[in-house]
Amino acid sequence: MTKPNTGEVNPKDTAAHEIRSYATGFVISLILTIAAFAAVLSDLSPTLKILIICIAALLQVTTHLRNFLHLSFSGNQSREDLLLVLFSASLLSIMAGGTIWILSDLHGRMHGDQAAHAEPAEHSHNRAPED
Amino acid sequence: MIQQTNPIFGRLDWSVTPYTDLLNKVTSSTIVGAGAATVLVVGAIGAVALLTWMRWWKPLFRDWLTSADAKKIGIMYIVLALVMMARGIIEGFVMRAHQATALGTLAAPESGLVAPDHFAQLFSTHGTIMIFFVAMPLLIGLINFVLPQQLGARDMAFPVLNQVSLGMTAAGAGLIMISLLVGQFGTGGWTMYPPYTGIEYSPGEGVDYWLWAIMISGIGSTLTGMNFAVTIFKKRAPGMHFMRMPLFCWTSLCVAIMLIYAMPALTVSSTMLLLDRYAGFHFFTNAAGGNMMNYANIFWMFGHPEVYILVLPAFGVFSEISSTFSGKKLYGYTSLVIASMSISVISFTVWLHHFFTMGSSVPVNIAFGIATMVIGIPTGVKIYDWMATMWRGRIRVTTPIVYLVGFFMLFVIGGLSGIILANPSIDYQVHNSTFLVAHFHNVIIPGVLFGMLAGIHYWFPKAFGFRLSETWGRLTAYLFIGGFLCTFMPLYVLGLMGMPRRSPTFQNPDFMPWMYIAAFGGVLMLAALTSLTWTFWTSWRNRERLAVPGGDPWNGATLEWSSPAPVPEWNFPHIPVVTARDDWGATKRGGDPWRGPDEYVDIEMPANTYFGVTLAGAAFLLGFAMTWHIWWLSIVSLFTIVAALFWRGLQVVEPVIVPAEEVERADKQYRDRIASLTPVRRVEEETEHNRGVPDITEFAG
Ligand code: HEM
Repeated sequence: MTKPNTGEVNPKDTAAHEIRSYATGFVISLILTIAAFAAVLSDLSPTLKILIICIAALLQVTTHLRNFLHLSFSGNQSREDLLLVLFSASLLSIMAGGTIWILSDLHGRMHGDQAAHAEPAEHSHNRAPED
Repeated sequence: MIQQTNPIFGRLDWSVTPYTDLLNKVTSSTIVGAGAATVLVVGAIGAVALLTWMRWWKPLFRDWLTSADAKKIGIMYIVLALVMMARGIIEGFVMRAHQATALGTLAAPESGLVAPDHFAQLFSTHGTIMIFFVAMPLLIGLINFVLPQQLGARDMAFPVLNQVSLGMTAAGAGLIMISLLVGQFGTGGWTMYPPYTGIEYSPGEGVDYWLWAIMISGIGSTLTGMNFAVTIFKKRAPGMHFMRMPLFCWTSLCVAIMLIYAMPALTVSSTMLLLDRYAGFHFFTNAAGGNMMNYANIFWMFGHPEVYILVLPAFGVFSEISSTFSGKKLYGYTSLVIASMSISVISFTVWLHHFFTMGSSVPVNIAFGIATMVIGIPTGVKIYDWMATMWRGRIRVTTPIVYLVGFFMLFVIGGLSGIILANPSIDYQVHNSTFLVAHFHNVIIPGVLFGMLAGIHYWFPKAFGFRLSETWGRLTAYLFIGGFLCTFMPLYVLGLMGMPRRSPTFQNPDFMPWMYIAAFGGVLMLAALTSLTWTFWTSWRNRERLAVPGGDPWNGATLEWSSPAPVPEWNFPHIPVVTARDDWGATKRGGDPWRGPDEYVDIEMPANTYFGVTLAGAAFLLGFAMTWHIWWLSIVSLFTIVAALFWRGLQVVEPVIVPAEEVERADKQYRDRIASLTPVRRVEEETEHNRGVPDITEFAG
């Protein structure tokens, strides 16, 4: 983990390799972005749309990390990279999970089991708010 | 209200300056407003005149603004922060003066020095400035200056990126400054919660100033975080394992990680508010299903790590000075490392305590309340470690130590009031009261401000080659401590008496005695600011007598003390090979620490570039133009930024080579100088005899 990262590389070799890696990444990102937009414009069910967007986003993140940020689990700094990914994943899940928890709780407290712009008449069926 | 937007000037016209307000109506409030604008204008003209008169323009650009040297960038950050701090403290004083005269009656509920809207702008700018443009640049500046030297590196991993970060921060600060003169600032506090700051309730330019300043400087801080992290991972000198790094480097690493993960949340919340305001989105409005509490949620996801970003570097400074000035090894190094790391992770799990009163259900509030209390534990560990470091040491009561002791006593009180607030049911009673204002000043001033000032005092000789006056330094520290006590202890009482924060007026005469004490505290704070300024001035005048060319005025233990003062651009003639924790101390114990390297080699340093200045200027114009809806200028400045990025990206950038002979000459000169200076014992540290060469037989750390 503390070893210096001064591996000698052949600059010509890496340049060609890098450009290929960037180009692949770019094309994949483009496809994934178009897929997300296409999903929104299509007339699939909302759940399916959300699912597609989420998957496209995750794949997009992976592509960026791999092709643009050169993250790899097999190179000479695989251990650092693994640490980085695990740490990021845990922090992001704290943030995302926390947000979902907090806001869905709030939603419940604000009689949110009912759509926000529901007809007033439906109020009578309202479940009593929790304590 | 539909405003006309002029295609050339956007929404700018002659009615936006505080002078127009003054002409319309002469009150104490408009006088204060126009006075502040005048100070800004006169200050700017004065600075330009001085630069022209002294022919400093060229050196300014050549040696400073275009430099990619982390040390210079650090110093520029700190200068920026100190200028902004002067404004922040003066605003604090004006607010205290206002509230001391703000007792209204039922018949005439409003009273006081400034108008309510003006007061709201004061606390909003004060909060924004103090957090984003004082505390942040202070710590980023200090880390920039110290980190490479402590790691045994020559520079940051990305020197030019560093310059860009500084530029972004300066552009944001510039936007806040210009809001004194052109238009109004927002009135939503430093957090700018919607819906109040949505377009419906705050249609003017104020919130936009805030948004653009925050977005632009936020980019700078994110980039800085990455720069620090990469520097620590990749640029450590050979042999400098993680567990050999000085503690300041560890806390810098924590800060870097937190910056990387926390700043994006702020960018997201600001962007969403921006889209709400400019493009008719509904993230934070009730209409169309938005949820304003999500703003608070995302903002504090940044905001809470932020407060630890602010305080951790101060913890790093305290670790260094407690050991140096008691002449002992740092107690509990490993526990300090673990504590810092725990703090930086736990700080991501407590953000809801800033909005307990939103009304979450019990389990949510309890979970975050407990997490909040838990974070007190590593912080407590640290305090004990520093006290143990000082225990039975031969402590020299220098300025940093005065700050440190002030920190011990005051920060613990602030931490305790924080633990009290972490209990949701208590928080429900005192939230949004001046109790809270007292709490956060109680941790921020002794923590961040004292820490940074102590750090500046400690490393100043390294930067400029002479020490700061201890007499004036200590006086400043005492004034800050006294000023803090008088200003903020009364606010605890007032909060418990029920005074809400951000109140432009109140009708309870019982508040008055406390208000007067607090106002007196404000005067002390002003005195401290003056005394701080005077410290720099008088030390500069006595720089001959305070000079420490030997470079090690405090008999330190870490690598940065092994170089001359002021430190050369390349830091080390030869990258040191580290063999121990506190390597310089180990070298001293081995005897003859000032032996020169066997051979000298050419040194590569980053070349000067106008890149940062260009981006900063364009970013400032972009923010200003967007705030005032001057679309053509926004497009031009955005284009400039993109073009500059491309231009830089397409260039082959050659480093500057410092030839080995030059390094050798400078280094030999320094070694000869050392040999000619008499080592000084610690008892004489504050006297003229201290030339930066300590008596190494005394070294025990
Ligand atoms: C040095 C003397 C200082 C004085 C006299 C002072 C005074 C004040 C006052 C009177 C307020 C308004 C309180 C209220 O809302 O009722 C305030 C708010 C605030 N201060 Fe300070 N302050 C000082 C230093 C600092 C420092 C060093 C920081 C941070 C680095 C800071 C950060 C803040 C923040 C974040 C707010 C909240 C603004 C808001 O309500 O949005 N202050 N201060």
